[in-house]
Amino acid sequence: MDFEEAATDAAASAEPADAPPAAASVDAPPAVELDGVTKRYGDTAAVDDVSLRVREGEFFTLVGPSGCGKTTSLRLIAGFEEPTAGTVRFFGESVAGVPPEDRDVGVVFQNYALFPHMTVGENVGYGLNFADPPEGVTRDERVAELLELVDLPDAADREPESLSGGQQQRVAMARALAPGPDLLLLDEPMSALDAQLRERLRVQVRRIQSELSITTVYVTHDQEEALAISDRVAVMRGGTPEQVAPPRTVYREPASRFVAEFVGDNNVFAGRVVDVEDRVTGEDGDATSNGDETSNGNETSDGVTRTAAVDAGGETLRVALDGAADVAVGDRLAFCVRPEYLRIDGGENRIRTTVASAEFLGETTRVTLDWGGRDLVLRTRDPLSGEVVVGFDPEDAHLIDGA
Amino acid sequence: MTDRRSGAGEASTPDAGPSRRRVRSLRDRLEGRLLTALAVVTSLTLVVAFYYPVGTVLIEAVVVDGVATLAVFAELVRDPFYFGELARLFAGESPIAVARALLGPDRRLGIVGFTAYQAALSTVASVALGLPAAYLLARFEFPGRRTLRSLTIVPFVLPSIMVAVGFVATFGTNGTLNAVLSALGLPPVDLMFSLQAIVIAHAFYNAPLVARVTTAAWESVDARAVETARSLGAGPARAFLDVVAPQVYPAVLTGAALTFVFTFGTFPIVLALGGFQLATVEVFVYRLVRDLSYAEAAALAIVELVISLGVLLAYLRYEARNTVNARGARPLPRRPLLPAAPSAREVLPRVGLAAYAVVAAVLFLAPIGSMVLASVTGGDGALTLEHYRFLVDRQRTGAAFQVRPWPAIRNSLAFASAATLMALPMGVVVAVLTTRRYRGRKLVDAAAMAPLAVSGIVVGLGLLRGLVFGVEVAGWRIAATGAVAIVVAHAVAGYPFVVRTVAPGLEGLDRSLIESARALGASRARVIRDVELPLVWPGVVAGAAFAFAVSIGEFTATVVLATGADAYTMPVAIERFIGRRLGPATAMGVVLLVVTGLSFVVIERLGGEHRGL
Amino acid sequence: MADDTDAATGPDAVTDEGAVSDGDAVASGEPSASRTRRGTDRPTRRRFLALGGAAGALALAGCSAQQTGDDGGDGGSSDGADGSDGSNETDGDDGSDGEGGDEETPTLTVATYTSFIDAPSVSPGEWLKEEFESRVDAELEWATPDNELNYYVERAASGVSIDADLYVGLTTEDLVRVDDQLDDGLFAERGEVGGFGDVRDGLLFDPFDRAVPFDTGYVSLVYDGTAVEAPETFDGLLADEHSGALIAQNPGGSSTGRSFLLHTIHRFGDGGVASDGDDEAVEGGDGDPDYDYLDYWADLQANDVRVLGSWDDAYTAWSNGEAPIVVSYSTDQVFADMEGANLEEHQIRFLNDQAYATPEGMAVFADADEPALAREFMSFMLEPDVQGQIAQRNVAFPATDTATLPDDYAELAQEPAEPVTFTYDELQGSVSEWIDAWERQYAGN
Repeated sequence: MDFEEAATDAAASAEPADAPPAAASVDAPPAVELDGVTKRYGDTAAVDDVSLRVREGEFFTLVGPSGCGKTTSLRLIAGFEEPTAGTVRFFGESVAGVPPEDRDVGVVFQNYALFPHMTVGENVGYGLNFADPPEGVTRDERVAELLELVDLPDAADREPESLSGGQQQRVAMARALAPGPDLLLLDEPMSALDAQLRERLRVQVRRIQSELSITTVYVTHDQEEALAISDRVAVMRGGTPEQVAPPRTVYREPASRFVAEFVGDNNVFAGRVVDVEDRVTGEDGDATSNGDETSNGNETSDGVTRTAAVDAGGETLRVALDGAADVAVGDRLAFCVRPEYLRIDGGENRIRTTVASAEFLGETTRVTLDWGGRDLVLRTRDPLSGEVVVGFDPEDAHLIDGA
Repeated sequence: MTDRRSGAGEASTPDAGPSRRRVRSLRDRLEGRLLTALAVVTSLTLVVAFYYPVGTVLIEAVVVDGVATLAVFAELVRDPFYFGELARLFAGESPIAVARALLGPDRRLGIVGFTAYQAALSTVASVALGLPAAYLLARFEFPGRRTLRSLTIVPFVLPSIMVAVGFVATFGTNGTLNAVLSALGLPPVDLMFSLQAIVIAHAFYNAPLVARVTTAAWESVDARAVETARSLGAGPARAFLDVVAPQVYPAVLTGAALTFVFTFGTFPIVLALGGFQLATVEVFVYRLVRDLSYAEAAALAIVELVISLGVLLAYLRYEARNTVNARGARPLPRRPLLPAAPSAREVLPRVGLAAYAVVAAVLFLAPIGSMVLASVTGGDGALTLEHYRFLVDRQRTGAAFQVRPWPAIRNSLAFASAATLMALPMGVVVAVLTTRRYRGRKLVDAAAMAPLAVSGIVVGLGLLRGLVFGVEVAGWRIAATGAVAIVVAHAVAGYPFVVRTVAPGLEGLDRSLIESARALGASRARVIRDVELPLVWPGVVAGAAFAFAVSIGEFTATVVLATGADAYTMPVAIERFIGRRLGPATAMGVVLLVVTGLSFVVIERLGGEHRGL
Repeated sequence: MADDTDAATGPDAVTDEGAVSDGDAVASGEPSASRTRRGTDRPTRRRFLALGGAAGALALAGCSAQQTGDDGGDGGSSDGADGSDGSNETDGDDGSDGEGGDEETPTLTVATYTSFIDAPSVSPGEWLKEEFESRVDAELEWATPDNELNYYVERAASGVSIDADLYVGLTTEDLVRVDDQLDDGLFAERGEVGGFGDVRDGLLFDPFDRAVPFDTGYVSLVYDGTAVEAPETFDGLLADEHSGALIAQNPGGSSTGRSFLLHTIHRFGDGGVASDGDDEAVEGGDGDPDYDYLDYWADLQANDVRVLGSWDDAYTAWSNGEAPIVVSYSTDQVFADMEGANLEEHQIRFLNDQAYATPEGMAVFADADEPALAREFMSFMLEPDVQGQIAQRNVAFPATDTATLPDDYAELAQEPAEPVTFTYDELQGSVSEWIDAWERQYAGN
């Protein structure tokens, strides 16, 4: 599959959820599986009953704010920590009690963790003390090969300290890959780098991962990075994943209010349902009929979209129910609308707002609007000021849990 | 997707370990177990050569005539002679009354209180005298610096009788100091047989300890951190306070805590230079053991132990809280001793160091110089080599059962080398185990420090019972004496220094360095050797030097465990050569000085200046 | 006595010429903390050997600790055949008493304090060994454990065989302490000892007739006659002119210090300190029941007496002129003469014409393997020429009337007009209390 597209243009198109990556066979056991894993420190659970499966060859990202358990999950996979409960499996076999050195994982840390008393070449070759290089390749060749891979062909004799942060990070990557691990674990590898470098490096990381087809678990707090780089993303909160899905699903269809707000800019609305109706969206236009207030109406036939009118902040906003919910009048409902779906003077639902601030981002401007004390965000190419009416269509709203 | 298995994985077949594709040779497997094995061996060694023997003595405090009792303790803690005003607290008086008494002018400290008091004073003096030396050695470059650094520990190994000789000759009524003072037209000072004399002598022993430990930490300060601070606009003083000091504090406190513990258990030097009116707890432990009053002796020793361990534990908690993460990369550049420019900032520190050099010369060099002088001074006051001739004669003609110089030198070096080689892995293992995160690790750490805190006299008696007499198992009496037992006992006595010089560095090491290495396939033991130790190398070398010094200077355990005439060491020889004339003993003392001085230089040369960066 | 034995502690010297020490084997191991600092550029095999070496060294230490030193534990005939105290022959050390050695040349193990055989100046050990072995078909082995007699008390208390035949250098206090500590006798009855009749009556200090005195010494004052004229009486030491003039030793750790303390008790009485309720007090020779030794010491302390730890400490300080008077032995001039020092600086003073006598005895261990040979040795020790040699080499006074001594010996080795000492019965149950009370007064903080 085309990772580049998936990675860079997540928002552009909707895609069916959980499409398996190309290489993985359906029957093969997952490369990494966390099965009901809990890790407690004292009374607090850093990781709370987590079950995840990472497919072979997949680029899997754990993303979330600090303290969400993503790093602990990675450390449990690496074997730096043993779970308090539950099982970690590699290729279907439990690795309980297997020390990190026997797990065949490559780990890259945020601070590079290069051995300062060894040269770059010694760093990269360190793992070859414990695993032979591939058949027919000498140790030195292997080191050179890896340095080539990370675009540092001449760095072998240099001291790590003499390299820039990005270079050090690439050396760390080469070092982790040199012994040919089954699994690459990256713990916030770019958070110490500046934004530009980060973007360049993540392209490189993704390229290397694709070249080697190595199963990769990536930890970051940067949702943008997560969306850009991953096959699938697990958004974590309070020690548990709230949603595990491909980036565009996470973006387009966040499973919870937390995910909606954490991943990308979002406008979250909440309010009480005042009306539910079915709309026929066929060739003959938008015939509508009032829904039965007491019905559970979760069956929506082709060409019929069930929508709800929600009283949010004094405005009545109509949102498509996507056949997902058994929504009745009087329920509380939350939904989100991505900034790019907010249109100026457009859309079915109209909201009167005032421009609060604007950030010029180059291609677009990110405008924060004040709507009765609440912030809304939208992106536009045009300069805005004063009072603005924005709107969105019911289909562009996505229902979320956690109203 | 097979191409990625370019490593060993390709050749491997699924083996017993789940998901283990890396081929592990037998060697690797053994190495993987090495840390566990070393930990087990270390624990066993400690139990056999320390905890069990000491236990046989300490238990007498609570088991009298086969009956468990706390009566001995109860009596002890209520005895104002030992506990001063606090005894009244133990006797049930109200804390307020006791507090008032303690604040009153006629308060009694008791022997225990006084012992702590003089230990505290000695600690302050040792730190005050040790820090400038650390500053000099860590931050300045000058010819002979490395040698000087190596030699700082020499005072540490001197037998107390030698120090007493040197001190009386230097600070006595007719000593060198007063001779110089009167030549300068200044009034004489009367230092002998006072608390000051004891404190100075303790500083003589322990300031080098503070200096050496601190130097090692200072040398490990990463220059980048300082440069970063400077680049952020911090002046030199601010950078020192914010960056250097936090990395050096723990070492200073290490030195201070160890000094307190040592001087709390001080014994012969107090009576030699102070007098019985300044007697410390250990003096009474000695007397009680000598009179076979074991219950009281053991109870007192336990009091000593509790206080010493309490101090160590408090320190260890501090150490754990205040460890600064370090990567231990590039050390700070040293400055030339001669100022580059005549600015105040360049000159002032050097003037301070010059003043310190004068003080150090009086306190450290003069007593040693006096000792050397005594070794070449005859009964008539003229210079002579007769005392050295005595050593040669004794070597040539001494009876087989008498102590001769050469075997003493040979044994000292052999025991110290072996004990150092044993103390290093022991210390490193304990340092590694106590820098892991788990509940109660500081208690484990403190318990591991117990060899520093237990009364030397009790250790000696314990070794006699536990090792020399041995244990009866199924009709066999298993005992251990001689060279091996001495080496083990010395290693047990020395390894805490390795722990204390290595642990803070390890604790400060970036965990991700270790984890990276492990993920790359290195066993825990391999990581220690390949990554951790090289990064805390100055601490390792300092620890090795201390372990060596402890072994060289050790006396109590040596005399207990030496079975044959060929197992004695230099301090034993010195002790044996003490007669009415000090000459032969001081000559042997100078031999000890020279031999150990050379050894330290060799150790530090072998250890290397830095981690080979 | 050649040199003071207090605080003086030495290793037990056993005469075996040892093989290479086991330390060498340990030294061959490299520590796991190998000094290799570059992680990747050396073959790993070598490192492994290094690691293995360390483990091996550790194993060796533990292992040999277990191999050595089983005493058999069955008390059979072979038990204690190698008489050296506490010695555990290392493997392959055939020692001096191999197979059949017992039949041909029996070995007598004589325990004593170190300076009796190994002092920098003179000591009788070497001469005694040679002389005894030339007269008797036996081998003499010295044993000088660090804890001296306490070592054997410990052995007995721990149920370990004694491994020595007799102890040389017992004092009255030693006997009191041993008898207090052990229910079973550590020493055997004296038995037949030739020459015992020649021992001076005043020296017989063992009421149970185990210990045989072989020499005696006197604790007196030694002073620098060029600096001060020492007072003639105890009271004189309290004079202003002798403020800070006296250096004594800790009675808890030094035998000279203890003797001096006992002498003051003998002089001033103990004030009932050790009466344990029966109101019996030791009366002092001063005839004043209201002024006891603690009062005297309070006055001494007020007059700035120095009480240092050991005889070495005190004598070093005295030699350096810290104070002109020191508590020491009345034989001081013998040494001074040997060294060619100015005798004027080594004057002896017997306070009130008295000195505290410290007779030294020897006794056969009840557990001795060679009791007959041990008694033969005791007889040998009392022979006139041997008595003379002991007195000169141990720098003490003979225990017998019949010793052959150089005529001028008495010129330098001075004896007091009135030796004083406490008997076994007087010391028993008192000495600890006396010292304890003194410590509490003197060091009360």
